[in-house]
Amino acid sequence: MTGNKTALKLLGLAALLAFPVLPFSSEYVMHVAVLIMVYAVLAMGLNVLPGFCNLLDLGYVGFYGIGAYTAGILALNHNVSFWLIVPGAIALGALCGMLRGAPTLRLSGDYFAIVTFGFTELVVLFLTNEIWLTRGPLGLPGIPPIALSLEFLGIDWRYDFLSEIPYYYLGLAMVGAVYVVMCRIEDSRLGRAWLAIKEDPLAAASCGINLMAYKTVAFAFSAGVGALAGCFMAQWSMFLAPDVFKFWESFLVLCMIVLGGLGNINGAIVGAVVLIALGEVLRVLLPKLGLPAETRFLVYGLIMILIMRFKPGGFFPTIAATSKKSRLILDLKARLQAERAG
Amino acid sequence: MDTILKIDGVSKRFGGLMALADVSFEVKKGRILGLIGPNGAGKTTMFNCIAGIYKPTEGRIVFDKETGPVDVGGSRPEQMTQMGVARTFQNIRLFGSLPVLDNVRIGRHCRAAQGFWGAVLRTKGQKAEERMLVEQSMEYLDFVGLKNKALDLSSSLSYGDQRRLEIARALASQPKLLLLDEPAAGMNPQETASLVDLIHAIMRKDITVVLIEHDMKLVMSICEHLVVLDHGVKIAEGGPRDIRENPEVIEAYLGRGAAHA
Repeated sequence: MTGNKTALKLLGLAALLAFPVLPFSSEYVMHVAVLIMVYAVLAMGLNVLPGFCNLLDLGYVGFYGIGAYTAGILALNHNVSFWLIVPGAIALGALCGMLRGAPTLRLSGDYFAIVTFGFTELVVLFLTNEIWLTRGPLGLPGIPPIALSLEFLGIDWRYDFLSEIPYYYLGLAMVGAVYVVMCRIEDSRLGRAWLAIKEDPLAAASCGINLMAYKTVAFAFSAGVGALAGCFMAQWSMFLAPDVFKFWESFLVLCMIVLGGLGNINGAIVGAVVLIALGEVLRVLLPKLGLPAETRFLVYGLIMILIMRFKPGGFFPTIAATSKKSRLILDLKARLQAERAG
Repeated sequence: MDTILKIDGVSKRFGGLMALADVSFEVKKGRILGLIGPNGAGKTTMFNCIAGIYKPTEGRIVFDKETGPVDVGGSRPEQMTQMGVARTFQNIRLFGSLPVLDNVRIGRHCRAAQGFWGAVLRTKGQKAEERMLVEQSMEYLDFVGLKNKALDLSSSLSYGDQRRLEIARALASQPKLLLLDEPAAGMNPQETASLVDLIHAIMRKDITVVLIEHDMKLVMSICEHLVVLDHGVKIAEGGPRDIRENPEVIEAYLGRGAAHA
């Protein structure tokens, strides 16, 4: 049973690794696969607030934009190394997350959602109007692609990302890393504190959990992950414009995690795969029906409404999913069963 | 005898409503104090003031920490838990979609230390602490008799077991003072009897208990000292016998004229 499961997992991993060399993997398919990975990271990052802490975030894409423009400006104007861009963008994203969080610490429910909604609009306004920094509506064209080099170590090695395939593998590594970090945090003292806040803030505080401190950590972490996705995207698409970070992108990411089941890390990834793939299908299909491609947002809205109505927990509801697979819990389960039998 | 908690002239006003008016009493260390009174008397408001959920409008709440007595009025709930005051809720407030074990692990939150980086890096210290948290939580579950249900969903427990789980969660924070808000509400007579045993077992762990309860048989049988509130005012204080015969208490419970009938 467990042997089969491990085999299946290895097979899945092998399929992911071999994906670019499969015959149907054209440049276009690879592009969509990378796009899915960017959104999978965004979905996992957004999931921290509504999924773990029950704070509805409608402005997540603001952090994506902050990360993307940080990477874009640093790479384009200052020729900064990729090794520095990533931590820099994450740190700035996390800082902005905390700054946005500070005035909203005492808010919950709709009020929190309204503040986050305002935040994305602020980010877009900033990107549009601070022309000295962001070139405003003209956008940032010609961002150099990612280049990994070890020259700072004195080793003469440099690799430029010239096709979709290296982005695919780097994206896979990014999704994997974020996934592992998310799972580890969910099954930890920090993750349980967040889930307690989600379930009942008053009881959580009475258990000794400092709500403000733990929410602040959640804001920073969630925003940092969003910025990470942004800085990957900036050097992958090589062009940024303020319009990319409009509200409906936040809505799309939210739609992904609602589809997958709020609070479920696997669900967030499934949501990203389904909705990005669907977006590509609609992009081809809608013009054939005589509708503009933007109509796809109506379809996302429809999906959201249908899920809320018929499957409010999403396709993978997370009831008691926490720590189910952890070593400690499996050991405990075996011990309890042995005691009951003996 | 040492005083663990001193309520000194505490008032709590909500707009025009005086929920507590100049209430004073002392809780002696190692004893069990019953807080009784008709519905709306201000008992739970008093608990909320002690547990840091409300800030008293007036008065002092002096708690005996290791370092000596401190006025803790207006502290936040998590600070009170850290100092050693734990509570249960009148309307059960478990983390319903989490397993029983996780409820107790969360209850133990303030006696553990690992944070973000420990979780991300899975350091040795973090792993050891996680293992210890499971072991210790299982001990608390064993203590309240829920060991075998550790991995069940907490909302799937029976009403009586949910109350026990709330007690286990509160005990997990290693309190010196435990506030129980109507622990017997909704329990059948057998469950109530085993609750009495549980409270006695808690007392043997050197934990002082303050109990709000409507089940007079239960209160009279286990409390050595009672404080009676009515409309936010303390109307009587003393041993079970004195309270039972106090005309003001009888009037508060049964209405005017009942004491003379």
